[in-house]
Amino acid sequence: MAELTVDGSIATTVARQPFASRRFALEIRQQMGWLPQAAILVVSLAIGMGISAAILVAAGVPANELLNEFVLQTLFDKQSLMAVLFQAAPMILVGIAASMSFRARFWNLGLEGQMIWGAIGATAISFFDLGPPALRLPLMLLMAIGLGLSWAVAPALLKLKLGVNEIISTLMLNYIAGYFLLHLVYGAWKDPKDSFPYSPQFRAFERLPEWFGNVSTAAIGLALIVAVLAWWFVGISRAGLYLRFVYANPRMAEAVGVPVRRMILSAVLVSGALSGIAGFVVVAGQEGRLTQAFYAGYGFSGILIAFLARNNPLAATVVAVLVAALFVAGRNLQVFYQIPFSMVQLIQAIVVICVASSDFFIRHRIRRVR
Amino acid sequence: MSAFAIATNWLGNAPDFAVPYALAALGLILTERSGVLSLGAEGLMLVGALAGIGAQIAFGHPALSLVIAMLAASAVSILFAVMTILLRVNQVIAGLALVFFCQGLTSLVGTLFGWTNVAVTSFSALPLWPLSELPLVGRLFTQNIVVYLTLPIFIAVVWYLTRTSAGLRMRAVGENPQAADAAGISVGAWRFAAVLAGAALVGLAGAYISVVSTKLWIAGMTGGRGWIAVGLVIFARWSPWKALAGAVLFGCIEALIPQLAAAGVQLPQYFVSMTPYAITLAVMIWVAVAQKSDEGGGTNDGEPGALGEPYLREERR
Repeated sequence: MAELTVDGSIATTVARQPFASRRFALEIRQQMGWLPQAAILVVSLAIGMGISAAILVAAGVPANELLNEFVLQTLFDKQSLMAVLFQAAPMILVGIAASMSFRARFWNLGLEGQMIWGAIGATAISFFDLGPPALRLPLMLLMAIGLGLSWAVAPALLKLKLGVNEIISTLMLNYIAGYFLLHLVYGAWKDPKDSFPYSPQFRAFERLPEWFGNVSTAAIGLALIVAVLAWWFVGISRAGLYLRFVYANPRMAEAVGVPVRRMILSAVLVSGALSGIAGFVVVAGQEGRLTQAFYAGYGFSGILIAFLARNNPLAATVVAVLVAALFVAGRNLQVFYQIPFSMVQLIQAIVVICVASSDFFIRHRIRRVR
Repeated sequence: MSAFAIATNWLGNAPDFAVPYALAALGLILTERSGVLSLGAEGLMLVGALAGIGAQIAFGHPALSLVIAMLAASAVSILFAVMTILLRVNQVIAGLALVFFCQGLTSLVGTLFGWTNVAVTSFSALPLWPLSELPLVGRLFTQNIVVYLTLPIFIAVVWYLTRTSAGLRMRAVGENPQAADAAGISVGAWRFAAVLAGAALVGLAGAYISVVSTKLWIAGMTGGRGWIAVGLVIFARWSPWKALAGAVLFGCIEALIPQLAAAGVQLPQYFVSMTPYAITLAVMIWVAVAQKSDEGGGTNDGEPGALGEPYLREERR
């Protein structure tokens, strides 16, 4: 039988292909230049946006308003652009958080749970009035880092020690954290001033400062500092190099003396800490208090950003700004056309599907067989 | 309420909670036995739940609604099958994208068509006389038709997987695609079929929640049950009967909570809501510990050999 020959390429031309017609054979591409790769990426993004636009038009958004709403209003209006950059701060943080754990081949889907605990930590400092006003914000940040990190400890150790599937464990911990948040905002931490489920408002010195204009520029600054640190960590530091070994081949990395388990654990803990900071940024920057659903949508956005940026912190920063623009535009659509906010999620999913599928053409070649 | 009445109600309600877990886990096992890691259950359940309620509002025949829900979930899963089998996308990324796609899509469609919070009528309880007249366990035999059908569905799927040549082929494709391919079994086609058939069962599980159990639609109403089913499959080591046992266990625990509340036990509400997720986590840890302790002993732990690996003949070694 032809399939049994040693030479794979001969085998494929003769063998029956299950899905492709017999006239075509599939080959693994060894390498592709960056220009065709970029072209494929751009085309797949364009297809994704096209499908999304078609769905929006079908859902009742006038086609000519779409360009106006999405591009002009969101990016060319100064106030709106500031809002996008402001929204980008937590996006950058969750995007880098996801890419950190993905670099260790750990599917941390618990970004939202870790964000919730970060936000709870920050709010606890405010709620119990801990520390002098001048040190209040750093304390809130530290507490957010600590609690976000600790919510990642259990799934990391369970995976490393017992081999518990981290996808399920981190997701379950999200639900648990979400219900604990509800327990707080409907219970002990509820603002006594009114009947809504949120904590009392933070005082002025507990809010991230507004340096230029009226949005919290400190949040953007914090996110950019984290991005630069993350870039240094993965690109320059020794740990980053180790992590690349771990990603490429854990067994080989172990053999050449890389502390594989310690690297995985550190990457996941950094991921949890960064999610915690994202939670802090949302409550101390945007919301000004602990609210019941402040985290919604960040988990998937983080995964999307890390995926599109190929786990690169600087690319993640750029992608995060685009996703933030989508978030802001989505909120506008929600207000003006009664389109549910989950539309943003749908568009994100369509983009992921298109880009993930386009990878096929980067990695494979379809060859005509005579 | 007397302890007797609580126990009776508890037993009587448990199957209603267990059926979605059981059917979803069975669908996942069917798909994953062919080697395709199916993380999209949460999304497919939502699609089934929405399609079922839409059909129920439009036509009003619950049996028809369940069939339409199964077809809808299968149709959406074609997207997943194309991504994972034809285009060889990472199965974790594809599964996650499918979940979020379905969450967004169902929420959008439900809002646009105004299906949210519309109450429907559906199957009524069907007492199995004389079993339904028994003391204590009588309520157990006063269920809707779908509960009774769950067991035959399980028997049919298990029979298919273990006693038919088609089932053998499907499992061979998941266990060792290289060998299956060499034997002339089309890996892609069998995986495609497994994804679609599994999705139909997952969609049925979702439609059970909306059409039969809750009798209305709310965005995101499956609330993580799809993920719990994914965990249940790992707990059951891809064995349908163990998955059924796990589903019954989960159903009993969930049915216990309202009974305790009715009995006047003061439970903090949101901690009660956490229990299914906490128990899933606990069960996963328990399985991992149990597996760790008999490591080296049993070689066949039930996990399909090629689970999560895209098959490409050109990469065959």
